[in-house]
Amino acid sequence: MTAIQLTDVTKRYGDETALSGLDLAVKEGEIYGFLGPNGAGKSTTINLLLDFVRPTSGEVRVFGHDAQEEGRAIRERTGILPEGFSLYDRLTGRKHLEFATESKGIDVDIDALFERVGLGPDAAGKKVGGYSKGMTQRLALGAAIAGEPDLLILDEPSTGLDPAGARQMREIIRAERDRGATIFFSSHILEQVDAVCDRVGILRDGELVAEDTVDGLRDATADETTLVVELDHLPEGATEHVAALEGVSNVTTQGTVATVTCRDDVKSRVIRAFEEAGATVEDFETEESSLEDLFIDYTTGATA
Amino acid sequence: MSAIAIAKKDFQDAVRSRGLIVLTAIFVLFTVAGAYIGTQVSGLLGDEAGDTLDLIIGLQTPASFLVPIIALLIGYGAVAGERESGSLKFLLGLPHTRQDVVLGKVLGRTAVVAVSILIGFVAGMIAIFAFTGSFSLLEYAVFTLLTVALGFVYVCIGVGLSSMTKSTTRAAVGAFGLLALFWILWSVIAQLLLYLTSGSVFPQPPIPGWYVAFLSLPPGPAYGSALGAILDEGGLAVASTYEGQGLVEGGIPIVAEPWFGFVLLAAWAFVPLAIGLVRFDRVDL
Repeated sequence: MTAIQLTDVTKRYGDETALSGLDLAVKEGEIYGFLGPNGAGKSTTINLLLDFVRPTSGEVRVFGHDAQEEGRAIRERTGILPEGFSLYDRLTGRKHLEFATESKGIDVDIDALFERVGLGPDAAGKKVGGYSKGMTQRLALGAAIAGEPDLLILDEPSTGLDPAGARQMREIIRAERDRGATIFFSSHILEQVDAVCDRVGILRDGELVAEDTVDGLRDATADETTLVVELDHLPEGATEHVAALEGVSNVTTQGTVATVTCRDDVKSRVIRAFEEAGATVEDFETEESSLEDLFIDYTTGATA
Repeated sequence: MSAIAIAKKDFQDAVRSRGLIVLTAIFVLFTVAGAYIGTQVSGLLGDEAGDTLDLIIGLQTPASFLVPIIALLIGYGAVAGERESGSLKFLLGLPHTRQDVVLGKVLGRTAVVAVSILIGFVAGMIAIFAFTGSFSLLEYAVFTLLTVALGFVYVCIGVGLSSMTKSTTRAAVGAFGLLALFWILWSVIAQLLLYLTSGSVFPQPPIPGWYVAFLSLPPGPAYGSALGAILDEGGLAVASTYEGQGLVEGGIPIVAEPWFGFVLLAAWAFVPLAIGLVRFDRVDL
C-alpha cells in the first residue's frame, strides 16, 4: 500500500505556480528523500500533505485519506517536523512534549523521549525561549516521533543541527524505519539524502525531474564526466554554443573557468566548441561525475 | 477533547505573559477606586452606605471599559500570532483540526481574562468590605459572572478577528477599530441618523424607538441591559434614560429590553467567532 499518493497536483499562489501536475507515490516502509533547491516546491508539497494549504487541482492522499477532508485522521498516524516553525517561548520543553502526547492521546515516557532526541534532563525543565535552534529542532523531533507514528514527515530536518546532531538525526530516521515507519523527508542538501534514503525524488520548479534509488541515480551518472576548462576569456555565446552540443548536460561558468558535465566521448568536441566560439583553452581537467553534479544538473535548469 | 488540550496549553502560555500582569494590576486599581467612589456616591445620595447594588454600578463603568481592552489585547494575537511566529505549524502538526485551534483559543483566553477579572473583583470585594463593612455576596457573584461573560464576548471578537488575518497588526487594528466604533462612532452615527430623520441632533420626545434600539446594540450597552435584567435594576440599561419619562414613541423596542441584552451578547460573541472559524478553515496558512 502507498503511504503518500499525490495525483496530478497543481498548486498556484495567485499567478505563481508552485507545483504543476505533480505525481508522487511513497511506499509504506521506505525512506523517501525529497530533494530540490529552495523554492522548488518541497515545502508546498509537505504543506499539502498536512493540509496547511489546499491544492488548486489534483488529489492528495495519505494512507488513503484525503488530506483536506480527513486531515485529523492523517495526523493521528503521522509525526511531523515542520520547517520554519517556532515553539512556545514561555513553556518548558517538558510542557511541550506533555501537550504533544496529550494531543495524540498517548501515554509515553517523556524522559525517555528527551533522551532519545539527545536533550538532557536540564533541557526538560527549561523554558523553550532559552533553547538554541538545534535544541528546538530536537524537541520538535521528539514531539514528532512520540507514540510511534506510521509516517514521519520531516521538512529539512537537519536545520540548525551541527554535524553530530545531523548524524544523530539520521540514526533516529533509520531506527524509525526499522520499526516499520515510512519516512518522507525533504532537503536541499544532497549528502543527507544520499546517506539515508531508499529512494530519492528530485523536484525542480514544481515538477519531479528525477526519481530513483540512490544507486540508480548513481548508475545514470556513471558515464558522465565533469570537464573543467580554463579559458583566456569567455566569448559571448560560448556557453550557449557548448550547452547545445549533443551529449552535454550542463554548463556553468565562473569567471573564465567553465565547468561542463557531458558524456565521456564528447570531451574533445566540447574543447573544440570553445575554440570555435573564439576562446583559447589554456588548461583543462576532468573530474569524475558525482551524484552532487547530477543534483546540480537537475536543479539548475541547464540540462540539455 | 482536542480543543480542551489546546485551551489548557494556551492558558498556561498566555497567563505567563507580562502584559497580562500589568493589565490586571490596572484593573485592580480601577475596581478599588470604583468601589471607593461608589461608597462616597451612595453616601451622598443619602442611601444606606454599603448598598452593594450602588457599588456595582460604581464598578460597572471601569469594568465595561477595561474588560473589553483586556479581552481584546489577550485575544487579538491568539491565532494570527501563532501564524506569524510559526508555532501554528507545530500545533496543527498534531492531530487537531483548525476548528479545535480556534475554539481552544477562545476557551483558553477566556480563562485568562476570567482570572484577570476575578483578581480585580476580589480586590474590589475586599475594598467594598473595608469601606462599608457589609457586602452582598450573591449580587456581587452575579455581577462577576456577567462581567466574565462580557470578557468572553470580547475574546470571541478578538479571536474571531485573529482568525481572519495572518497579521497581528491587522488583527490589532481591527480590534481597536471596533472599540472606536462601539465607543465613539456608534453614538455619532446615532446622532447623524437622528439629524437626518428629525432635523435635530438632540433626541426630542417622542423619541423614535429605533434610536433607543440602535444605542442598545453594542456589547457595552448589552452588558448593561443584561446586568439590569438579572439584578432587577432597570437603571443599568440604556433604555432607562428614556423609559422612565415615557417618552419613547410606541414604547421600548424589544431590542432595548433588558433581557434582550443576553441575546445581543450572544450575537456579539458568536457572529465574529463564526466568521473567523469559516475564514480560518478555508485559508492557506
